[in-house]
Amino acid sequence: MSRHAPRTGVRRYVNLVNLGGLLIVVCTTLPLLWMVSSSLKGPGEISATPPSLLPDHPTLDNYDIAFVRNGIGRYLLNSVVVASASTVLILSLAFLAGYALARLPLRGRGAIMTALLMLSVFPPIALLVPLFLMERQAGLLNSYPGLVIPYVALNLPFAIWILRNYLSGIPRELEEAATVDGAGPMRTALTVILPLARPGLFTAGVFSFTATWSEFLLALTFNGADDRRTVPVGIALFTSQYQVPYGVIFAGAMVATVPIALLVLIFRRSIVSGMTTGAVKG
Amino acid sequence: MKPAMAKRRGRTGWLFASPALLVVAAVTVFPVAFSLILSFCEVKLEYGGLRLGSPTLGHYEALLTSPEWYRALAFTLGFTIVSVALELVLGTVVALVLERLGAARGWILALLLLPWALINVVAAQLWSYLFNGTYGAVTWLCAQLFGGQPDILGEPAPAMAAMVVVDVWKTTPFVAIVVLAGLMLIPGDVYEAAEIDGANAWTTFWKVTLPQLRPIVAIAVLFRILQAFGIFDLPFVLTQGGPGTATQSVAILGYRILFQNLDFGGGAAVAVTTAAIVMGCCLLFLRVFRTQVDEGGQA
Amino acid sequence: MALNRRALLTGGVSTVAAGLLSGCGGKNLDDLLTQAATTPNSRARLTWWVSEIPSRRGAVVADLIIRAFERRHPGIRVTKINALSTSDGNRSAIATQLAGGSPQPDVYLGDTTWPAQFGHSSLALPVETLLPHDFWDAYPAALRRSSTYQGKVYAVPFFTDSTYLFYRKDLLAKHGLRVPRTWEELLHTSRTVQKSGDIDSGFLWQAAVTEALTANVAEFLADAGAPVLDGQGRAVLGGEKAERAFSLMAEFTSSEVTPRSVTTYEESDAQDAFVSGRGLFLRNWSYAWVNASTPKVSRVADKVGVALRPGFEGTGRSGVSCAGGWSNFVNPSSQELSAALEFARFCAGDEVQRLLAREAGVVPALTSALRSKEARAAGDPTVLRAADLHLVDRPVQTPYYPQVSKALYTPANGVVGGDLSPAAGVRAAREGLRKALEGKAQ
Repeated sequence: MSRHAPRTGVRRYVNLVNLGGLLIVVCTTLPLLWMVSSSLKGPGEISATPPSLLPDHPTLDNYDIAFVRNGIGRYLLNSVVVASASTVLILSLAFLAGYALARLPLRGRGAIMTALLMLSVFPPIALLVPLFLMERQAGLLNSYPGLVIPYVALNLPFAIWILRNYLSGIPRELEEAATVDGAGPMRTALTVILPLARPGLFTAGVFSFTATWSEFLLALTFNGADDRRTVPVGIALFTSQYQVPYGVIFAGAMVATVPIALLVLIFRRSIVSGMTTGAVKG
Repeated sequence: MKPAMAKRRGRTGWLFASPALLVVAAVTVFPVAFSLILSFCEVKLEYGGLRLGSPTLGHYEALLTSPEWYRALAFTLGFTIVSVALELVLGTVVALVLERLGAARGWILALLLLPWALINVVAAQLWSYLFNGTYGAVTWLCAQLFGGQPDILGEPAPAMAAMVVVDVWKTTPFVAIVVLAGLMLIPGDVYEAAEIDGANAWTTFWKVTLPQLRPIVAIAVLFRILQAFGIFDLPFVLTQGGPGTATQSVAILGYRILFQNLDFGGGAAVAVTTAAIVMGCCLLFLRVFRTQVDEGGQA
Repeated sequence: MALNRRALLTGGVSTVAAGLLSGCGGKNLDDLLTQAATTPNSRARLTWWVSEIPSRRGAVVADLIIRAFERRHPGIRVTKINALSTSDGNRSAIATQLAGGSPQPDVYLGDTTWPAQFGHSSLALPVETLLPHDFWDAYPAALRRSSTYQGKVYAVPFFTDSTYLFYRKDLLAKHGLRVPRTWEELLHTSRTVQKSGDIDSGFLWQAAVTEALTANVAEFLADAGAPVLDGQGRAVLGGEKAERAFSLMAEFTSSEVTPRSVTTYEESDAQDAFVSGRGLFLRNWSYAWVNASTPKVSRVADKVGVALRPGFEGTGRSGVSCAGGWSNFVNPSSQELSAALEFARFCAGDEVQRLLAREAGVVPALTSALRSKEARAAGDPTVLRAADLHLVDRPVQTPYYPQVSKALYTPANGVVGGDLSPAAGVRAAREGLRKALEGKAQ
């Protein structure tokens, strides 16, 4: 923690950093607050001018419609299953691959990294039809694996890239000490590298989870059965051709954001503890 | 290291990497190849599904002679450059602020991630609501500030600016977090050395922090370029590509060709050309940034 | 070695591609039609791809229909797949499945602008030989035309959407004005009421760069008597009449009778503005009646009237409405073709059409259902007046309809926004149409 000199007096509280922090919080949250407040507004108030920041007559109707009439609870469960399973798989596979690409002598490393990049530049809409054919042939339509497998594959390249780079930055001496102690690569990776890699894993994990959580096109096309639908598709179903019910959409979005907020709150320590990485070395 | 041991470690490397690579290959190689084939073939729709016909360059010819494609490309490129540049600068600033914040960091981080975590379509709908020409809060605010009856999404320049604003709002947190993770990796003694040399904060940032951040920032930018180039939800929900075709991105054009016109060959050609262009941009970027794909690996 | 590997890869991919596509393509139409003409398998399992049908009283209309069908055909089970209601989202999902040769859904509900394109792309079964000769006599001729492409019929009627002029009864009464019969009168009336400060906007409609604008353009052109295509399907848009229609669209915004933001309005936006009391007149599809007259959604619930759309002065033509709506299509890859057709026909039949009149906020396709006791009991003016409408087609009888539509709405959007003159807009639209009809547009 000693990399920045401690401040004293009033400047402990009023300084550029804290002001910057405040500004960041305001810019980020204001539109979200608007969403929260609008999710509590009735159909008349939601389109009132001038727009009101707080609802005059707060109502839970929108949540009622989202949960009871449109059954978003079921979609939420599906999304949690699909996104969690995908993220765990992505992180495990990417950690091993990233470690190998960062630290183990691997022929064709450059080619592999480039190939991964190339596969991820391909626009997903073009993959839709061939993937659909594959899934239909494999009988994976309307199933959890039917989404988890493509999600893992499509998000692995970024996770591998980010973890490889992160792991390359971890001081080599730590690892060598373990090797001298007679630990094999697997044990070194799991006992020495893994704990140090938490900020990198956090980044890759957050990225993977949010990407899979909000994916729409594949979910819409592959899981048409109602009991396998995910939240983004569920929310899209709220919109009829006849009306865009913003209040209900926002209520659904609030519900869909809670799991991510929880996840981040639980894991935020890992990025805070990342500070110690520097300390280990310094 | 003994040769036998090195060899064993090499095998272990493949052992570690192969599960991930196999999964990626199993899912993506065929669809990518399939799209390539489609883009070079007549595609016939028959009872029972699509069928490949004789080889042709027609899809590419149609595309490369279409003014609409060039317009879409120009919009997408412009959008990508402006929004990624803004996100990079702002994201780095945010990360630097976060790094210096004490106890509040965890909480702010959690807050920051919310826009990023918001489902894309929903985020677009939230802003579509805020920009609504009749009762949108942003429209109202602009009316108060500048007078008149602003029509943000109905005119080309404001509509494009609106899209950049929304994208910056949504993705700066992502850049910030990647950069923050990079900042965490910079060893404290590097700063101490700079301090001893008497460098001020600004010099330290340019000479010490930034070079250390380069590899990780490069990756963040690289993947942001990929995503920004594929921009779809925002124009699709906010403007449907309008006014006119002012905000029609390449992805929207591809989508229209594929799913509205049901021209599977043409859609595949859009995808292949997009991929080629983005790949070119990425390689160019890596060269400019002097980051090599295998830099930082075992020498 | 490298060559070998590449050869191996190419070969591998081709083999896989061939394998995956083996189930695809190459089916003989005659076999399919024979199959469809047999008696339905009494133990068939059907899936029906259906988007939300607006409900008059809160019941889930699709479920009522399925229950009614299963009562008549015990043994056949129908499962509903909830499709997205937005035409675009719906289309991408269904097109992927059909092009992939998926046997499900067996029946899908699709827009009335789809038949030519879906038929041309073999995504829908031609059903004209499977229906009785007098089948279409019971349905509007415009619906038959839009379901037909090159002499084949690709859609079975379900419900129609028509457009009306919704207006504020209270404000017209207050100012002693009548419901306008011409566009010129509507402009005048709007300005009068706007000047008094009683309302923000005069006329709300839809001019976003989507199909919504194409429908409006088609109506204004028909009002002015300007054809879009000739009998051979060639683009003939042009001349004074077409310019009159485009000039009117420009005048709405330039005179501020319509807010400038109409260039971003789709149906729901215009309806939102109207039900929150911001507009004197609204052009919208029939389903807007249910929302506009429901107090929970609408601030003006008891103040809304419905009239036929006005026309141009001196043409003697008014009450023009686009023929919109949704029809059932049979998936040619279905394993249960005859049961699927049976279901689609059931939805077009008297029992379901009366059910629609009673429960759904749409206009039944069956003409006799418009005057049924169910329709009279519901008292929906958009249903009761549907027979008075002068229905016009959009230029849908081309496999390139999406491109044709884009060629119309893109320049029209510029005209409404004031970026293009009406004459330049018409020229651009004609050029765009020519390219689109040749299949050379994106």
